[in-house]
Amino acid sequence: MFVYEKRLQYPVKIKQTNPKLAQIIITQYGGPDGELGASLRYLSQRFTMPLPELKAILNDIGTEELGHLEMIGAIVYQLTKDLTQEQVKAAGYDAYFVDHTTGIYPSSASGVPFTAAYLQSKGDPITDLHENLAAEQKARTTYDNILRYCDDPDVLDPIRFLREREIVHYQRFGEALRLLTDKLDSKNFYAFNPSFDKKCFNSGKDKKAQ
Amino acid sequence: MSKREILLRKISSYAFAIYELKLYLDTHPNCRKTIAKMEELESKLKPLREEYVKEYGPLMSSENMKDYWTWVNAPWPWEGD
Repeated sequence: MFVYEKRLQYPVKIKQTNPKLAQIIITQYGGPDGELGASLRYLSQRFTMPLPELKAILNDIGTEELGHLEMIGAIVYQLTKDLTQEQVKAAGYDAYFVDHTTGIYPSSASGVPFTAAYLQSKGDPITDLHENLAAEQKARTTYDNILRYCDDPDVLDPIRFLREREIVHYQRFGEALRLLTDKLDSKNFYAFNPSFDKKCFNSGKDKKAQ
Repeated sequence: MSKREILLRKISSYAFAIYELKLYLDTHPNCRKTIAKMEELESKLKPLREEYVKEYGPLMSSENMKDYWTWVNAPWPWEGD
């Protein structure tokens, strides 16, 4: 289950309205490499993870991503909450505004609504962990691209924090993959699906006991 | 920055450091040094949280201390106040 704590993982306090920036940052809310996809990806994949360390890391990173989703929502909200109708038009925010006003809606920077097709839950931990390593790098690149267009220190600060988290998660997923392959046959890691073909964790000796 | 914000930032700093160690422990569950460090940080966080809840209201809905439901009171974290 989940319990809410009434604070952000890292503070977001933005003074300057900036709809142009909001329009690109929304992609980390509901875009192809955004935080909603990240949390759903890990929290869905965790069910079939075969080792205790793997269940824990997917569970905990998936939960942290929900906190990041909240931070991105807070950034977009604070960048647009005091918008005037003139600013909407001048910034080219009217395409978003006509559908959502200043509501926070999961879509990409180009306006494509969130879809579960952004993520996969393959039921094979080698496959899933590789997807997750790639996902963290894709999100890191997206944050790097956001940073190219951002010169407001109030926005730079939390975006830099979120970028760093992608790197830490990449490291943890790398360790998770190594923990898994250490328990598999080094001659062919891919001979079995470690979630579905549970016998692959047994060495020759254990097989006899089974 | 208000006194409330300064205290909340202190709490979030400790909470983040503790969380980061927990994530490390997920893939290194035998690291006793990390568990000890985590416990040390938790003992520093506890009184700060207690002070915050007493002064400014609950961080979790289970921490309501008044005879009315202070959970609904502002600020909510995304408001930036």
